[in-house]
Amino acid sequence: MLSGKFRSAVVIGGQGIRARKLRTFLSMVSLFLGVLAVVAVQAGSEIAERAMLTNIELQAGKDGTIMGYVPGEKGAPGIVESTLKGRTDAVAMISSRAVIGEPGVRPVNEGGMPFEYAGRGGDYGGPMVYCDANGTCTEQKQQEKKPAGQAIEVGLVALTGDIRPFKPFRPVSGSWLEFGSTPSLAPRIVLNEEAAKGLNQYRVPGEMMVDGATHHMTPQILGVVTDGYSQPRAYMRLDELRTWMPSSVEPSEVDKFRGGGTSLELYLEPGTDDLQQLLKSKIVAAGVAQEQLHFQVVKSKENMESELRIMRLIFLGMAFMVLLIGVAGILNVGLATVGERVEEFALRRAVGMSRLLLAGIVLAETLLTGLLTAGLAIGTGVAGLHVALMMFGSRFPSLEGTTFPWEAGVAGVIAGLVAGVLGGLIPAIRAARIPIATVMRA
Amino acid sequence: MTQSFDQPTVQVQPAQAPLLQLTGITKVLKGQGEPRTILSGVDFTVHAGQSVAILGRSGSGKSTLLSLIGLFDKADEGQYLLHGNDITKLAERRAAALRSAEFGFVFQRFFLLKHLTAAQNVAMALVNGQGWSSRRKRKQQVEEALEQVGIAHLSKSKPSRLSGGEQQRVAIARALVRQPRIILADEPTGALDTETGNLVVEVLLNTTRQGCGLVLVTHDHDHARKMGRVMELRDGRFN
Repeated sequence: MLSGKFRSAVVIGGQGIRARKLRTFLSMVSLFLGVLAVVAVQAGSEIAERAMLTNIELQAGKDGTIMGYVPGEKGAPGIVESTLKGRTDAVAMISSRAVIGEPGVRPVNEGGMPFEYAGRGGDYGGPMVYCDANGTCTEQKQQEKKPAGQAIEVGLVALTGDIRPFKPFRPVSGSWLEFGSTPSLAPRIVLNEEAAKGLNQYRVPGEMMVDGATHHMTPQILGVVTDGYSQPRAYMRLDELRTWMPSSVEPSEVDKFRGGGTSLELYLEPGTDDLQQLLKSKIVAAGVAQEQLHFQVVKSKENMESELRIMRLIFLGMAFMVLLIGVAGILNVGLATVGERVEEFALRRAVGMSRLLLAGIVLAETLLTGLLTAGLAIGTGVAGLHVALMMFGSRFPSLEGTTFPWEAGVAGVIAGLVAGVLGGLIPAIRAARIPIATVMRA
Repeated sequence: MTQSFDQPTVQVQPAQAPLLQLTGITKVLKGQGEPRTILSGVDFTVHAGQSVAILGRSGSGKSTLLSLIGLFDKADEGQYLLHGNDITKLAERRAAALRSAEFGFVFQRFFLLKHLTAAQNVAMALVNGQGWSSRRKRKQQVEEALEQVGIAHLSKSKPSRLSGGEQQRVAIARALVRQPRIILADEPTGALDTETGNLVVEVLLNTTRQGCGLVLVTHDHDHARKMGRVMELRDGRFN
């Protein structure tokens, strides 16, 4: 139950606001921009943070995921594959290289470079260089170069399971890989946007050559996703890739044919310490040195927040400056109103109202004004975001599905309340100090 | 023997105890200049159902005395007993509670809030943080108070649409709505013509018939003569 004092303050505060609609409106106008600035900055930074986080998570993995690097040697890929088989709490990614198009030719983007650099030679214009796991790099020999032809090169990523719980790829078109069905002989692939762009830009035959594979294959393109990479990539099931690999060659070791080395990337859900331990034990038992295994927790949020913190502080500082102007407006109107209402306040005290409650009423009025303004500013923010998303949402895929962040709403309410308190405090103290006897005798 | 107030509600003493009793009250005005003694050793007593008129020239201390009785201000010296309880040194919060429970105030300048209707102006005395009653009960209390002063039909009118006499009766209804034990009226007829003034004094006198004490500060000897007792203040002392 609300106390009589509180109810009295709200009732009288409401009467005061109704009696001085224009003044209340003017107070709200001066405060509105300040609260709106706080709401906009908070909403903007939250949305930017979410968008940035989504982009970072595309590449680095979701915040909290345990990521592991395992060298693709001494049977480690097979161990990983068999250990993770049927599990959904961990996925391994094995990277390889594939050429889609005419066989035996030099792809237009040799080295798997983005297509805007196509035709400029390896390494975005320089000589093609391969580096091994130890960091030793060797330049590809001139005589190895093949004749130019209609083919594109993509990074091929073979997956033991659905990677999306760990890397939130955004669907662009078509569908994602289905891991529950029987492996298909015609490997099903999902392209990233850059690979799709290449296929759209260059007319190439529907034939795919994977390093280490014994035969060319005809892929089925299921769909296109945004994966955060600028190089063309294609994703496929590891078991479907394995169908095309000779039994003696691990898919992860195919880079060795090109003079390089590769590794497996593992993504594990938080709390899978037992699985992590099991994998480590098996791999070490197979002969891989313990120090070659690296596991770490992905801290996408932490890294991003440190980047955003300064920006957010600067903008919030600016918003609070605007809010202070609004507070000054409320204060100004509040002081003028107290001056006009001296008799009313003295009378209220004469009929039994305490100084404290009288101060509470003045504060209640400014708080109600602040809250009303906050409501308006939040409403404007929600409507503004809605309009902005309708107008520009399609240009920024990371904004897809964006909703008004509740944090901005809370910030708006807090800003309105703080402004109400700051703007109403001095008028409230003045109101409480009005001497009844002097006023009533006048 | 006296006892001090430690509750805002009044503990009614035996019937012979006066409603209020002020003894040796002194009030000195300390402004920027020399301190000025407004009241000097004033004794004043009011019993239940008694009406007292206080006459005196301007500056004689009438309104100051009323302010002290109504707990708007505190005396520098003397003792104040309400129903036999010593309230000379009362905290502001308790004083506010007593003003609400015990006193009804009527002023020369009605002090009605122009944005509120007559009924809302009367209800103002009920919405003062001293307890809470339902809207229905408040409405009933307000109607009764307006009925008592004969203007129930004007309950929805705003002050700007009321005559001076009607406005003062709204102010009296506001004073009566909490059923006070003492009405303090500071020149309530000062802004009214003789006929309306007489009507207002009659309304105030009616309250004493129900056991309420009335202290009327006035310049009008005719109105003063209608009271049970007339006292004259001169230079801060009763003659």
